[in-house]
Amino acid sequence: MAKTVANVVKLQIPAGKATPAPPVGPALGQAGINIMGFTKEFNARTADQAGMLIPVVISVYEDRSFDFVTKTPPAAVLLKKAAGVESGSGEPNTKKVATVTSAQVQQIAETKMQDLNASDVESAMRMIEGTARSMGFVVEG
Amino acid sequence: MKWTELSVLTSSEAVEAVSNILIESGAEGVQIDDSKDFEKLMQDNLSGYDFGLVEHQIEGAKVSAFFPEIVFIPEILPVIQSKVNQLVDFGLNIGQGLIESTEVDDQGWGLEWQQYYHPVRVTRFLTIVPSWEKYEPSQLDEKVIRLDPGKAFGTGTHPTTRLALVALEQVIRGGETMIDVGTGSGVLSIAAKHLGVGQIDAYDLDDIAVEAAVLNFDLNPVASDVHVAANDLLNGIEKKVDLIVANILSEIIVPLIPQAKNSLNSGGYFVTSGIITDKVNLIKSSLINGGFEIQQILNMGDWFSIIAVKMDSEG
Repeated sequence: MAKTVANVVKLQIPAGKATPAPPVGPALGQAGINIMGFTKEFNARTADQAGMLIPVVISVYEDRSFDFVTKTPPAAVLLKKAAGVESGSGEPNTKKVATVTSAQVQQIAETKMQDLNASDVESAMRMIEGTARSMGFVVEG
Repeated sequence: MKWTELSVLTSSEAVEAVSNILIESGAEGVQIDDSKDFEKLMQDNLSGYDFGLVEHQIEGAKVSAFFPEIVFIPEILPVIQSKVNQLVDFGLNIGQGLIESTEVDDQGWGLEWQQYYHPVRVTRFLTIVPSWEKYEPSQLDEKVIRLDPGKAFGTGTHPTTRLALVALEQVIRGGETMIDVGTGSGVLSIAAKHLGVGQIDAYDLDDIAVEAAVLNFDLNPVASDVHVAANDLLNGIEKKVDLIVANILSEIIVPLIPQAKNSLNSGGYFVTSGIITDKVNLIKSSLINGGFEIQQILNMGDWFSIIAVKMDSEG
């Protein structure tokens, strides 16, 4: 008989440092799973990337057991890494804080392709480029 | 404590950018409910799971973040809304682009799962019982551990705890002295007392853990004499004991190894748990290089526990 999934929860949380505070607590408490059981396992599995924001998809089964898979880092994290900056601009329309090349955007789009809801690399690049611009990054080339 | 949940209703295309707006506005993380994620999940469903019960966005996506009451929402909400609206200028479809605001009390979520937490016979002798449930042991040699996991601590049923409990059952003969490093809920100390250990010192870096352990020792009269205190690993601890148990992350076990060697009597046991598959070899070699002999490795799924003995020659 097929295993019944009661809930699927997707979060972006700091690797190695998840705590029962939001968004973990409300999302998982509501799904009926032991919050500490999750944070302990997530922190152990992601300790090597500590501090980096990591997307995680948690499948909660009918008996409230769960498993999870981590995904590629968020586009914003990869963009900041590529541009060598700590944060984006508070006024992205007027204050530009970094520059990334189209090649870098393409590389990020390809890295994230499997986790983005994009039909092809071009639409993935459009998402990444839009995210870059929304952070006050100039996209060159 | 009260929190405000801000949920941005948007399109799948803008999820990454909206998530970043919320994070840069001070959220510790975000929750994403994307209709396209769900479609993909159904398409890739090679295991044939039944997703019939799962509630999800039918169209577009919802990205939610939580802000504590110290954040003045009327100040950040218009800023977030303006940044979401601006995404159109950067070539992204923002879908509805609406923000919903809901007040949330943190009392609920920590307790929600309790309805699924029931007594569990975790090892040959030990049964863990939530403090709010009535339970009578069904066999003479069954020992009951009563636990109130509170909001921050586990139920004692996680594989890492189970493995540590099995390891304790194997090494305890009665009358030993013990240190419990990273006691958390205190479950291992309570179990050790049931199994016959003499004096126990339980330490945790986190004051909230110390409070939880005190509460749980009070719930279990057998553990009423366990000494519990806040301490960073074994820093500053000078006494020597027969047994040290540590159910903590692998990264923390490594620096604990030389401390454990100093704090163990010759031939004493060092039980470590919380070790995930890809760290087993690291912990094994660190133990061997640190003057321990590996006696047994226990395994449950991806998790491992190691029973090591301080070698006689190390004095």
